[in-house]
Amino acid sequence: MPRARALFAILVSRSTWQRLLYLGIGVALVAPYGTLAGFVVPALEGGLGEVAASGLAIALCAVALPVATGMLVAVRDLEIGAVRRLLGVELGDVEGLDTQVSWATRWRSAAWFVAHLVVGGVIGAVTLVLPPAAVSACLVPFRSGDVQLGQLDATVPGGPGGAWIVPIALLSPFALIYVAAAASALLARIAPRLLGPSPAELLAASQRHAMRLAERNRLARELHDSVGHALSIVTVQAGAAGRVLDDDPGFARQALTDIETSARNGLRDLDHVLGLLRDDVSSRAPTPTLADLQRLVDSTRSAGIDVTAELTGRIDEVPQAVSREAYRIVQESLTNAARHAGRVPVSLRLSVGAGDLELELTNPLDASHARRPGGGRGLSGIQERVTSLRGQVSVGPDAGRWRVAVRLPLHPTP
Amino acid sequence: MTIDVLLVDDEPLIRSGLRAIINAEPDLTVIGEAEDGAAVTPLVRRLRPDVVLMDVRMPVVDGIETTRRLLANVDDPPRILVLTTFENDDYVFDALRAGASGFLLKRARPDEVIRAIRLLAAGDSLLFPAAIRELAARHSPPESQAGGLDGAGLTDREAEVLRLIAQGLTNAEIAAHLIVSSETVKTHVAHVLTKLDVRDRTQAVIRAYQTGFITPG
Repeated sequence: MPRARALFAILVSRSTWQRLLYLGIGVALVAPYGTLAGFVVPALEGGLGEVAASGLAIALCAVALPVATGMLVAVRDLEIGAVRRLLGVELGDVEGLDTQVSWATRWRSAAWFVAHLVVGGVIGAVTLVLPPAAVSACLVPFRSGDVQLGQLDATVPGGPGGAWIVPIALLSPFALIYVAAAASALLARIAPRLLGPSPAELLAASQRHAMRLAERNRLARELHDSVGHALSIVTVQAGAAGRVLDDDPGFARQALTDIETSARNGLRDLDHVLGLLRDDVSSRAPTPTLADLQRLVDSTRSAGIDVTAELTGRIDEVPQAVSREAYRIVQESLTNAARHAGRVPVSLRLSVGAGDLELELTNPLDASHARRPGGGRGLSGIQERVTSLRGQVSVGPDAGRWRVAVRLPLHPTP
Repeated sequence: MTIDVLLVDDEPLIRSGLRAIINAEPDLTVIGEAEDGAAVTPLVRRLRPDVVLMDVRMPVVDGIETTRRLLANVDDPPRILVLTTFENDDYVFDALRAGASGFLLKRARPDEVIRAIRLLAAGDSLLFPAAIRELAARHSPPESQAGGLDGAGLTDREAEVLRLIAQGLTNAEIAAHLIVSSETVKTHVAHVLTKLDVRDRTQAVIRAYQTGFITPG
């Protein structure tokens, strides 16, 4: 009897009960709207009459408010979490709280929320009514006269002749479970369409993914370069020191110092890049853009570096791709300045014009830091970002200051 | 007779280390340094080094372009030994194709550095034949271009000598292998270089791989 076994399996399966729990949440979510309707109807009845009042209350409490609630991004996120966890539906890469959610997506979420309320509400109502009705039905054979079934507006004549109703009453809770399981299965089936990513979101997600990969590749290459460079210095200097130890102890001593510095710089670069990679993995935060620039400036200041920032133009209108890269360029330039020049005042100028974005970062040139081993390696990252956007970059000393100047076109030219 | 060496690398600590290693040898002398490829051609004209140790990646003019310029503009140019941080650096093969005579990892041991410079200056055997074979395998030409060396008109003996050169054998070893005199081998090698119109063994071997005359692997 494999079919009977399958039916029984539904009753005891963990996923069935998780899905019922999801419907239970729907029941709980219905409650506030029901309560509100309980207040609204009497309040309106005086002026509008019973039919109009009920109609208005239904329009308000059963349609308008749930739809409005369902449009909230936070509610969407909660539903997505609950659907994944309890309905066991893998929704794919969906936009969440951290990004702009389109109105089309909000409407779909609202439709889902209403569906959740409706299915939850119906199953909940049946669950409230069924057990008392079943209990009274079981008593039918032992009673005389008409027996009311729980709170239901239905009666059955008592006496032994009504015994047929007992097995039905006993089986009804199981039937309810099957119906609820079927209803939640239906919800699970439509969930991807209402909560899953739209084609546009899928595209955006794959772009984000590609960007993350490119970023990681870049970091890996940077790490390879900088640590490879440091270790090359260490091997060459150590080899040389070993050769000339007896003849030129002064050289050997200096070599040891240089080895120490190079190795330390390599480790610091390693730390830096691994930190970035870890951030990239652990935080689901969106990639920062120029909108986050003030925060970056503030945190740099709190690290003890005096930053003068001068921002002009419609920074919020810079296209996302450019904005993201510009933010990273500023970030890398600040890091480089701190790394190679120490705690010197940095001045940042960023202006957005009609066709391009100009960015200039300068700091006083410190002769003692000018040729530190490994210096200048962080610039390759900036170079790459600028090249990928078809911009221009110039880096180098300029009138006693170290200057990084970048111009990025706001819109790609073919 | 000492071997004069010119160091070209943008990292001063690499230069100072190599200088110490090279100058510790009685027969080797560093006669100059440059921190970018742009300065190399005039410096070579003035100092006439025997061997140039040159970084591949440099900020203004890289090692490949510098090699190309040196070979095009300087009469009787020095041998060029390309320095690289990484083994799998595609630039290395480009530099060899541009005319460099050999390459060396920066992490090479001091005695390997010394040996490479001496070997290149002497010019009578190939530096790191296995590494060059691997590089050639990674950059093997498409079948269509692999026309072999038919146009060069090598004799059977010369073709055989070229194959032995690619294996890294010295003239003496080739002589022993073919049971002929060293002088005969020298003549064969000279003919191979002339017929292929290349300046040294490395270039001859690169050409042999590039044309599919020898298949790496």
